[in-house]
This record gives sequence, C-alpha cells and structure tokens, in this order.
Amino acid sequence: MEQFHFPRWTNKLKQALGAGLLFGPVYIVLIFWFGASPKTLAVGYSPEQPVPFSHARHAGELGMDCRYCHTTVEKAARAAIPHTSICMNCHKQILNEDQRLQPVRDSLASGKPIRWVRVHDLPDYVFFDHSAHVNRGVGCKTCHGRVDQMDQVAQKETLAMGWCLACHRNPELFLRPMDKIVSMTWEPEGDQVDVGREVQQAHNIQPSESRSTCHR
Amino acid sequence: MPRWGMTIDLSKCTGCASCMVACKVENNLPIQKPEVILQSRDISWMEILPMKEGEGFEGGHAEEHSDHEEPSRMRYLPRPCMHCDDPPCVKVCPVYATTLDKDGIVSQIYDRCIGCRYCTNNCPYTAKLFVWNTPEWPDEMMAGINPDVSVRPKGVVEKCTFCHHRLQRASEQAKAEGRPIKDGEFLPACLEVCPTQAILFGDLDDPSTPVARAAASPRAFRELEDLGTKPKVFYLKEDY
Repeated sequence: MEQFHFPRWTNKLKQALGAGLLFGPVYIVLIFWFGASPKTLAVGYSPEQPVPFSHARHAGELGMDCRYCHTTVEKAARAAIPHTSICMNCHKQILNEDQRLQPVRDSLASGKPIRWVRVHDLPDYVFFDHSAHVNRGVGCKTCHGRVDQMDQVAQKETLAMGWCLACHRNPELFLRPMDKIVSMTWEPEGDQVDVGREVQQAHNIQPSESRSTCHR
Repeated sequence: MPRWGMTIDLSKCTGCASCMVACKVENNLPIQKPEVILQSRDISWMEILPMKEGEGFEGGHAEEHSDHEEPSRMRYLPRPCMHCDDPPCVKVCPVYATTLDKDGIVSQIYDRCIGCRYCTNNCPYTAKLFVWNTPEWPDEMMAGINPDVSVRPKGVVEKCTFCHHRLQRASEQAKAEGRPIKDGEFLPACLEVCPTQAILFGDLDDPSTPVARAAASPRAFRELEDLGTKPKVFYLKEDY
C-alpha cells in the first residue's frame, strides 16, 4: 500500500503559523488601541461653523448665561440652537454691519435657519434628555467642558455608553448644587463625593439604567 | 413601580383599524410597497385579526361549525404585543436585545439585535416582527417622523412597546414635579384614537384604576393563557 505523503505546499504552513502567532497579538492590540483612541471616539472634534461664533467671547468674556440662547434646555430633551432673532436682540445694535454676521442677517430676512454643524452627535438609537440632567444636578461643564474658553466648540468627552454609565452608576462623583448648573468655574468646597451625596439625597436622584430610558 | 397593562373590550371593537394607523404613525412604521405586502412582509405592531364567526382566524384551523341559518358575523381581535410577565422571547435572545423592564414593558434594543429571529419564532402571539426592508417614506412625510422613536434599520426585530417613549416623557414630567406618575398620564397611541374607547391602559397593580377593574372582571381572558406566559393584555369577552 502506498504511503500517504503530505503535499509539498503544506511545508509553508509552518511559516504561516509562525507569522500568525507573531502578528496576531499585534493585530489584536492595534484593534483595541484604535477602537478606544480619542480620535475614533470623536474627542476633539471641532468643525468649522458657517458663522465664526465664539463661545469664549459670549459665554466667557461677556458672561452670558447658557440659557439665554439655549432656551429649551431646562424643559425639553433638546437644548435648542437659538433662532437668529435671539442673535439679533444684540446684534442689531452691535457689529450690525460686520461681514461675518451676514449669514445671520440673511437668515433673519429669509426665515431659513443657519446650517450649523453639529458637534455633539449621538447615535440615532440613543435618546438623551437635557432637561432630565440639568434639573438633577448635572452641570453643563460636566459633559461639554469649558465652553467659555472655546472659540470654536470642540467635543471634550467620548459620549460613549461606558462614559454615560460611569456617571449613572456613581452620580455622586459628578453632581453639583442646583444653583451652580450653568457655572463653568464651580469647584466643590471640600470633597466632591460629600457634595454629590448631599445633592443626591436632597433631590432623590436615582439614575435610571432601564433600557427604554436611553434606547427606544 | 407600576406594572403597565392593557384591556381590550371585544364587544366595543368595531375593527375600524384606526389603532393600526395611529400605531404606524406614532412608531415610524413605513408605508410599504404592494410587492412587499404581497410577500407578507408588511409590519404592523398592532394588528387586527378578523374572524368570521364559527370559522376561526384566517389561515388558522377551521373549527367545526354547524350550518347556520343566520348569516355569520365578523369578529375582530386587535393584537398588540402581550408584554408577558414571563416572556418567551426574552428567554431565547442570545444577545440580550429584548428584555423585561422593571415596569413590566418588554423592550427591544435595536442596535443590539442581530436579527437571528429566534424571538419571532418563539413568540406564541407572533407579536415580534422582522424588518425585511429599509424603511422609506415619501418625501412629504419625512418631516412627520416621530423624533422620540428610532427609525429601525433593515435586519432587526421590532415590536409593540406600549409607546414607552411616552412613558419616559410622562415620568420625566412627574419626576420634575416630585410626585409619582398618575393614572392616565401615560397612554399609548392606539388608545387615544380608538373611537369606541375599547382599549383601557394603566397600572394593573393599582386596584383603583379602570384597567385593573376591567382585568379583574369575569369577562376578562388572556390569549393562550395555558402557556403560562402571563400576558398583560387582557381581552373582555363579547358575551358570557
């Protein structure tokens, strides 16, 4: 009976296996490296806007309240992008012939909104409610960073699900008193955990982890 | 924590199908093309099952019936998701995409669903439905899409959710005012449009609510009760 011989090409399998063992771990490491890198998670995303609106000038230097423009943030899920008439409350007097503001004047005349570029964009299957957070001791700065120092708004946090749950499971690490929600410079007096616990107990804050709260 | 449930009075249901329409509009269900409907791939979370008296459901087994002299009449059975307390679909989901929430609503997370359709096969009420086609609307209707409900992509399973996005809105309001959610604050879309008010909805655990009283009445029954799935949708018999 003829003996079985492996065909000649099987000799190469040994090298292939060696290469696989060598590069396989490298590949796995790279996958996780890039998957979790801030670039993939859009931290630092800062697109150019149609009007060079500076939050640093308005919210920082001039000290305007966030809620003067983002009017619905305390009542609705979405923190509204202001209507151009709100811009014009001041800008019909100030810089009323500035070229940079031409799109704003056009928008008010035509009634068509300015096409701002969205910075903090959640996936379509995530339903975030601003009012639920703002009325329960989560400050603007906690998620959006120091907007009062940004000339062009950039994303500061990952907005990933693990990041959401980090706060939902341990809210005392992030909560602040209700009158300091829009403050950009607030720092806890003493330990943040003590301050957070106090706020949590005073307002009976129980962050939901039920599925239909965020995904519907 | 309330346990949300529904009763449907079959003596009041006229089979007008306005609940189906309201459900489709509320929950972003697309208008399908005729060829898709011919493939039986049209999706409706709320479905009206018509039945000629004494003949059984369309496609089901015909029961033995005697020769009536009288002309037979139609009966209708509206079928949402039963939101079982012991849901068979949840038991088989391999990726934890469908779950029984604390308030008794069986929810579906579309981004987690891999579309294996195990749950659609395990649901005895055929209340879970597979999305076969990418949803499309005429351009005029695109502005009317409900922003509180996601538009499901092709290849996932979806189902009636008791309009739980409305529950979120109502409970948000109640929490802001520092009180528990009241009866009648959270109502699904099908109930709101029902012209004969055949549908009742509310907390089954609170005996003072109309829905709990209806569910406890001797007319109440549940579909396929012997399977032990403990549905939270009760039907009220036409005659007893």
